[in-house]
Amino acid sequence: MKSENAAQRIIQFAFIALAGGAWYWATAAGKISPLFLPRPESVWNAFNRLLTLGQFWPPVRITLLTIAQAYAIAALCGILAGYLVTRSKFATEAVEPIIAGLFTIPITLFFPMFILFFGIGTGSKIAYGAVYGFFPIALSAIAGLGHVDERYLRAAQTMGASRLETFRHVLLPYAFPVILTGLRIGFFICFASVLGGETLSSVSGVGRNIALAAELMEPARMYAWIAFVILTAVSLNMLVTALENHAARRAGRS
Amino acid sequence: MTDVSQSPSAAAAPAITIRGVTQRFGDAGSSQSVLALDNVSLEVARGEFVCLLGPSGCGKSTLLNIVGGLIRPSQGEVTVSGRRVDGAPRPDEIAFVFQESTLFPWYTVIENFRIALKFQRVPKAEWDDRAMAALRAVGMAGFSGHYPNQLSVGMRQRVNMARGICVKTGILLMDEPFAALDEQTRMVLGEDLSILLAETGKTIVFVTHSLAEAVFLSDRIVVMTARPGSIKTIIDVGEPHPRSPDFMLEPRFGELRNELYALLRDEIRKTMASQRDPAAARGGA
Amino acid sequence: MSAAADAPKSGFAMPRARAVKLTRWAIIAGAALFLEIYGRFFADPAFMQPVSAVLKALIHPILSDPRILQALGLTIFEIGAAYGLSIVFGSLIGVAIGSANLPRKSLYPVILLLYAIPQVSLMPLVVLIFGLGPAAKIFFGFSHGIFPIIVNTVSGMRNSNELFLRAAGSMGASRAQIIRHVLFPNMVPSFFVGLRLAMTLTLLGVILAELYVSTGGIGYFTRLYAESYNPAPLFALTGVLAAIALAFNGLVRIAERRLTPGLRAAPAVKTPKGNNPEGTAL
Repeated sequence: MKSENAAQRIIQFAFIALAGGAWYWATAAGKISPLFLPRPESVWNAFNRLLTLGQFWPPVRITLLTIAQAYAIAALCGILAGYLVTRSKFATEAVEPIIAGLFTIPITLFFPMFILFFGIGTGSKIAYGAVYGFFPIALSAIAGLGHVDERYLRAAQTMGASRLETFRHVLLPYAFPVILTGLRIGFFICFASVLGGETLSSVSGVGRNIALAAELMEPARMYAWIAFVILTAVSLNMLVTALENHAARRAGRS
Repeated sequence: MTDVSQSPSAAAAPAITIRGVTQRFGDAGSSQSVLALDNVSLEVARGEFVCLLGPSGCGKSTLLNIVGGLIRPSQGEVTVSGRRVDGAPRPDEIAFVFQESTLFPWYTVIENFRIALKFQRVPKAEWDDRAMAALRAVGMAGFSGHYPNQLSVGMRQRVNMARGICVKTGILLMDEPFAALDEQTRMVLGEDLSILLAETGKTIVFVTHSLAEAVFLSDRIVVMTARPGSIKTIIDVGEPHPRSPDFMLEPRFGELRNELYALLRDEIRKTMASQRDPAAARGGA
Repeated sequence: MSAAADAPKSGFAMPRARAVKLTRWAIIAGAALFLEIYGRFFADPAFMQPVSAVLKALIHPILSDPRILQALGLTIFEIGAAYGLSIVFGSLIGVAIGSANLPRKSLYPVILLLYAIPQVSLMPLVVLIFGLGPAAKIFFGFSHGIFPIIVNTVSGMRNSNELFLRAAGSMGASRAQIIRHVLFPNMVPSFFVGLRLAMTLTLLGVILAELYVSTGGIGYFTRLYAESYNPAPLFALTGVLAAIALAFNGLVRIAERRLTPGLRAAPAVKTPKGNNPEGTAL
């Protein structure tokens, strides 16, 4: 068992080392135009230049604020929609397929409309990210809130719980694990769509800076931004996975 | 029971009056239609413990749900403390204990009590005192910080019962609360319930399958017929609460049990026959 | 039981499933009606046009301009090509990784990590490398679509129930027979989950790249209409693309229904005489 684990680690490490080595080798030997793949040290230098020139944090701040606003809207509207739709079985059956069907269409299609309605500033990205993030959250809220065990609802009803109390103390805690999955997916969709929106059409933010660096033929700077985005996304993902594993272990224990 | 004494006539009136209740599920005439209850009338006095006993599917639980306002009857009416129950629960007067534990698994035992008392608009200052008193009564005071799924099935149902008792209602409706428990646990809980009943003076309507449980706990036993459910006869037990386990050893206990068994046997046979040949049973009904 | 109570209930009665469907279409029709009225009487025509104007724009210019039709055709080709490449390479890599313990345990986490990367940040790079033509769009669709196929192929192979494998082995099945009759049918459902997800993501990748490259293709026209505040053709073009996306998703769904063993409708079972289904309802 232990040697198998070690073998896995070695292969994973070798994989990463191979990719890194190939990057060094290809760029040092001049096999690849530095326009497509700059040398690792020039990417590092470009990153440092962004920091020292104060060009790093302002776009990051804008993007993070945009994501936060979009996500807050998506989460609130998604859970509210899930709650309203699941108030009746009939409504659930009628409305759920519409939302699920819309979600199979790439919402990106509608991005030009968001630009039309909300302009090229952060407003269009907030709206776009919120709409994209809304769907998985609403669908999971419908799935979670629509299948709450009748026993608990009846018990709350006989104890005289108000609608708000039933939602707060019965529906929400019961459905929370399912809604949490939607909130997680919704967050990463929000994250990617805000970045995508900025890349497609924008005047500021991280996505805009990636596109700008590409337009200006500054690959080192572009790679620095891309690396930042990838590292952020991957570490967020690992953090969420670790939190979920932790919660699952705790739930399993009790 | 301060809420009851507010109206002067309430004290004299029976706690629950059931008048001509008929319940049909599904549209009349359709093949799915089932007549569950047929013209049931019953009065339950204040502080009385009444058992509904009958073969499976005779509509005992349906009747309980109608009294509790969870189902609106097709015909007839139910009044509780002089006010008509119209298909809406009356949390100020009626508490329910269901067959399966309805303790919320995301709250600890004590939190489950607090939330029930909160739902019932009991002042916050009283929550913990009431909760601990009820928990002590069922011997579960040491488990207030546990989550329900950390308790055994029997302990859970004990807490569940205590939650039904701790709220301020004068009436407690219990739908086979001990059905999921083993025989020994049922007997212990039955004793607990008898003691509690004597202390709190609550009116209790209790649905059960168990003859011994019915005799041990009830003031009156309402024996119901097979579907469509109606009242076959009512038997008085006439033994004061709290009852000790010795009551089960008295000859009267055995006699009552045998009498109930004789009454029920025909009805159970009818039910079994209808399960074997539903069309014939329906034609006969 | 009175005779009147036994009489069948006459009047308005509709099967529930049909009522649900009707309500669903009524909601969609209601939304269209709202947009029509809002667009016609209340909205600024530079931002919003009624549904009828959008339908008119669909016929002219969208479906009558050969340049737009060509761009749409190219987009369909790009989606198909990207999806095909995703399936071929995704399932090959998936089988390679999932077939043995060591590559699965070591490389699968790497794949999952790559899957988590927001690829949209790579879009300018992809266009820089592959140019403004279809190659970049096909690659971007492919790089989106391949991951769910790998992941679901691997998990489908892992889910093959040990019990089935042992049962087949005990019946004397050869390795090839086990693969053909046990492993393969067992991974089909999971593989189709991957195919469905891959379609959604391929569509996303191709359309993202189409919109990003605004010098030609669909992206040129969407930008043209958006910047000239001409919403009717923009909505119409978006609608056509949405229809294309729905059609592609529908194709995958149909393929899934026809190819998954056990999902096809079960053959009709004859009811033995005397078994009255009404009676059993009691």
